[in-house]
Order: sequence, then C-alpha cells, then structure tokens
Amino acid sequence: MQIKFELVTYDEVLDKFELDENIYLLEIDEEQEKTYNLLKNTDLHLYNWFKESDFFIDWIKKEVYPSSIGKKFAINSINDIGFFRFYFFKVTSGDSHYDYFKKLFDIHEESQWQDREVVGEEILKALALKKQELIIELKEDVIQEITQPS
Amino acid sequence: MDNKYIDNMLVQMDKDLSSKGMSRRDAMKLAGVSATLLMGGATNASASTEATTTSKAKGKIVIVGGGLAGMSTAARLTLNLKNPDITVIEPEKLSVSYQPGQTLIGAGIWDEDDIAYNRDDFVPDGVKLIEDRAIAFDPMNNKLTTAKGQVISYDYLIVATGLQLNFEAIKGLESAGRAYSSGDNSKLLKALGDNGICSIYTAQGATKTWEQMQKYIAQAKSGKKTKFIFTDTNTPIKCGGAPKKIMYLTNSRLKEEGARKNAQLVFYPNGGKMFGVPEYHDAIVEQFKREGFEWHYRHNLVEVDVENKIAVFDSKWQEKGPWDPMMKDFEVIAKHEKLRVPYDFLHVTPPQIAPREIGESDIGSAAGWVPVNKETLQHIKFKNIFAIGDIAQVPMGKTGGSVRKQYKVLVKNLVALMEGKKLTAKYEGYTVCPLITGIGTVMLAEFDWTVKPTPSFPLDPLVERWIFWLMKVYALKPMTMYGMLSGKA
Repeated sequence: MQIKFELVTYDEVLDKFELDENIYLLEIDEEQEKTYNLLKNTDLHLYNWFKESDFFIDWIKKEVYPSSIGKKFAINSINDIGFFRFYFFKVTSGDSHYDYFKKLFDIHEESQWQDREVVGEEILKALALKKQELIIELKEDVIQEITQPS
Repeated sequence: MDNKYIDNMLVQMDKDLSSKGMSRRDAMKLAGVSATLLMGGATNASASTEATTTSKAKGKIVIVGGGLAGMSTAARLTLNLKNPDITVIEPEKLSVSYQPGQTLIGAGIWDEDDIAYNRDDFVPDGVKLIEDRAIAFDPMNNKLTTAKGQVISYDYLIVATGLQLNFEAIKGLESAGRAYSSGDNSKLLKALGDNGICSIYTAQGATKTWEQMQKYIAQAKSGKKTKFIFTDTNTPIKCGGAPKKIMYLTNSRLKEEGARKNAQLVFYPNGGKMFGVPEYHDAIVEQFKREGFEWHYRHNLVEVDVENKIAVFDSKWQEKGPWDPMMKDFEVIAKHEKLRVPYDFLHVTPPQIAPREIGESDIGSAAGWVPVNKETLQHIKFKNIFAIGDIAQVPMGKTGGSVRKQYKVLVKNLVALMEGKKLTAKYEGYTVCPLITGIGTVMLAEFDWTVKPTPSFPLDPLVERWIFWLMKVYALKPMTMYGMLSGKA
C-alpha cells in the first residue's frame, strides 16, 4: 500500500514552518498496512506512529531529505489527513480550527464573556509547546559497538 | 441547621403553595420529585451531609477572605482536622451575605434584610478572626501583611478574597470606583445617580435597581415608550445568568402592571451566544423570542453618557476574510465600532477583576486571578497555597454552586497535603445557574466542563418550572447559609 505524505520544514531561527511543495509516496508492507488501518482515524496517534517508526525515518533520510542530518521537519498530511493547523493556525483562522484546538487543549470558554481573540491567544500559547512535540529532527544513526567478552 | 429559620421558610412556602390551591406534597408530586429532594436529599443540588474523617495533621492555616467560600472552607476544615489552627482575615461585617438573592431584591421580591448576614455569626468554633484586609503577600517566606500593619505567618494559605466590581473602567462612571458585593457602596450609588442607571451586582445597588425599575415601569404604564437596556461584560463574570435574570424579572413586573406594550427590552451580550452550553443557549433564545425581547451579540458597554442618557458600546462583528491556502479555509476578520444607544433604564453589568492586592502580588497571575490547578485548586507555583471561589483562575467557576463543589475538594486536598499524601480530589467544573425566567419560573441550568447539561433532578433541565422557583426562593438560601457555612452541605 502506498501512503501519500505532505511535509513542512521548520526554520528554528524564525520559529516558522514552510510547506514543502512536493508530494512523497511511501510503500508500506502488509504488517504496516494493518497498523495504518488501525490508526488512520486516530489523529495524533497516527502521526506519532510514523514519527517513532524507524522505517519512516529511514525512508525520509534515504529518499526525501538525503544528506540532511540536523534538518527539522513535520508531517503536514498523511493520505490527506491534515495536520496543517498545528503549523499555520492564526487568531483569524476559521471556527472549525478553534473547535478542534479547544477540544485538544481542554480550553473551556467562560459561558459568555470570552472573546474569540482571547481563546485564539490561548491556543497559540498551547501550540508553541505542542508543535515542538511534532517536529522530527534527522539525527545520525547510532552505531552500537558490540564488545566480545574476554 | 437553624430549625426556626427552616420552619419560617416552610410556612412561607406553604402559603405560596396554598394560594395556588396546592399542598407541599402535591407540589412535589407535580415536579416528580420527593420532598426530601427539594429540602435536601442526596443529589448534586441537595444539602446532603457527607461523612468526614478527622485528621491529626497539624499546621497553621490562614484564609484570606471570609465570604461564603472562605467561611465554608474554614467550617469544613474544623470538621476534618482534630486540632485545627485556622485564622480568617476578613474586614467586612456582612461578608457572608447571601449574594444570589440580589436578583430578587432588584425585582422587589426580597429586600436587603433578607440577604444580610453577620460574618461573626458564622465564624466556626475555634477559628480566629482578624478584622482586617490582607494587602501584601510574601509567598516565598509564607507571610502576609494586613492594612493595619500586622505581619501574619502561615504554613498553608487559602485565598478566598472574591472579586471586585470595576465600575470605574466604564467611562462616565469613573467616580464609582471599585466595589464589592456587600458593604458600603455609597460612592457607587452616587455615581449611578437617580436617572435610570442601576446594577444588581451589589446589595445596595439591587435596592436601587428596584427603585429605578418601578420608576420606569410607571413611565411605561403612563403610555410613554420606554427603553430598558441590559448589558454584559467582556471580563470573567460572577453568575453569568444574572444580567438575563433581571431582564426577565423586569419583563414580569411590566406585565403585572399592564405596561409591557410600551416597553422595549434589549439585551447586549458581550459574546456571540446566550449561554456556553448549546442546549441552554437554544432554550434561552426561544424564551427571548416568546417574550418579545431584542438582543444584539458582541456588544461591550464602554461608556455611559449619564447626562444625555446614552450607553456607548464597543460593537464587534466578524467578516469573512481571504482564503488561507495553508489552513485550507477562509480567515475570519474581527471588526468593531462604537455604537451610541439611547436608554431610559440601564442595567449595568460591571467589568470584574481581581482585587489589586492579589493581582499585583506574586500569588496573582498576569490577569490578576490566582493561578491554580483547575482540578486540585492548588497554586501552580506555591504548593502550600490554594484558591477558591471568584478569585481562583478556574473556568466557569464564579458561582456559589461552584464553591459548593470546590470547598470540599480543597479541604480534602489540603488535608492530604498536610499529611504528606497525594492530592486526589478533583473539581470537575460543576456550576449551577437557577435562571429566573419570570416571577414564578426558573430553568435550572446545571453543567460542568463537559459543557453538557448535568441535571441533578429527574426532570428535563430545559423546561422552566415553578418547583425550581420555589427552590430558588425558599430552599437554596437555608442550604447555603446553614448547610454550606457549617461545612456540611
């Protein structure tokens, strides 16, 4: 099965994400497909599965961003399941994004007084931490030395 | 509980029922609930007494603020600690007065005497009272200083100061200053004047509201078109239902006098809805339509031109913005403008803020409120400090109904902390608003952080009921004054 990825790159100095305009296709095996089907409706669990999987990171290093140790990026979409709101949310973003983040970050609006702008700022504050969890940094492979017992 | 008070209350209630040709038993049947439920059965809204265990833990506990939250917490601590060492700091003699009754005073159903209670009658046995105001906090050294210069040390601090009504933030009412719900509000009353401006957010202001309401109902009755305006605020608010309750009661009084046809009743909510819980929002909108009220969302009162009788609102709205290709959605652009609205009668809901001594101290947050873990009520930085009631930075928690849940959680967690144990008790955001929709009807809006109705009674929570009116007028006050303030309910 093929999985379609959109990625965003992260500029640490500007603390900003930029869309990588390419679409990347990853072929997964049967076992991985089973896991994908189990997780495809789980939003961030799906994201984290790929983020933590060696086969995904190896593919990125070899096929997507070769010779890019130290590069930081995040997944913008997986087979059209979007994570873009984590990187591009603004106070002016539409209501559906507000509803998503209010639920995710457990933000309770006061019954009447709270302005959209106040909630928006609260979301941005929570997002500043959350996006750090989503960023993937390409690191050198760790080669473990196996020493023979004498 | 004070049996004499309860007996009097039941006599009054029976009179009210018999005027409708009913007995108390019939009324309970009609409501589908048992008499014990109305008078204190085993539900969320009841005055149930919970079993408590006594701890041998020791430590000096100081409670800043002796209102409903502070004094109820003190009372419950005395039940939970074998050797309690508790000091309450409270300068105001009527601090425990029954604030939910202010709406009823505003409509001439109760008067100030019905809600005025002496603080000294509610100080639990063994608890020390300092008649002073805490004005400086030194949480690094577990000390605070009072206005009279007394330095008080503590092992554990509970902040229960309540909030201040920031009338001075409204242009034209600067001379009103800041006010508390109870106590002397002569400066505020002078600033509001005698020309149609009022607010039920203080006890004395509620009396003034009834005076002004009668004056303008009489004007409408005389045949003159009369405009009644009710405002909201853009700050956190205690009893968010109160601005609507006084509007509903004004409507009832106008109808009683046969003056409704000459009156225009307009509500200006600050937000984009009537209530945070969709089910209650929908019900209120239907009630507004039924009663012929007008309403305009996203209006915040910023100025009153007292002389010319004009309310100035910051009117906000949203427009569809450009397409955002990254978010795959249209942006929403906020717009606003000043709007001048003439009025005859203006009910002001003041902005509400933390007292300066909290907001400007190390224990307050940037917004002024005391930042606590919203479930345990423990300060996020100083682990021996807790906050409760209006001053605590907890969503949707500024009602007596919230305090009723919070004080049990706080006491459990404080005792656990004193014993070196984990804090396991959790406040889940429960709050209750008995929304008076007319004289004789109440919709009992109960909810928590799930933002869903959480009814305590086996009845449709969206229906306005006379039985809840009876509960509001007769049962909730004794439950609060003699149940909560004894630390038991």
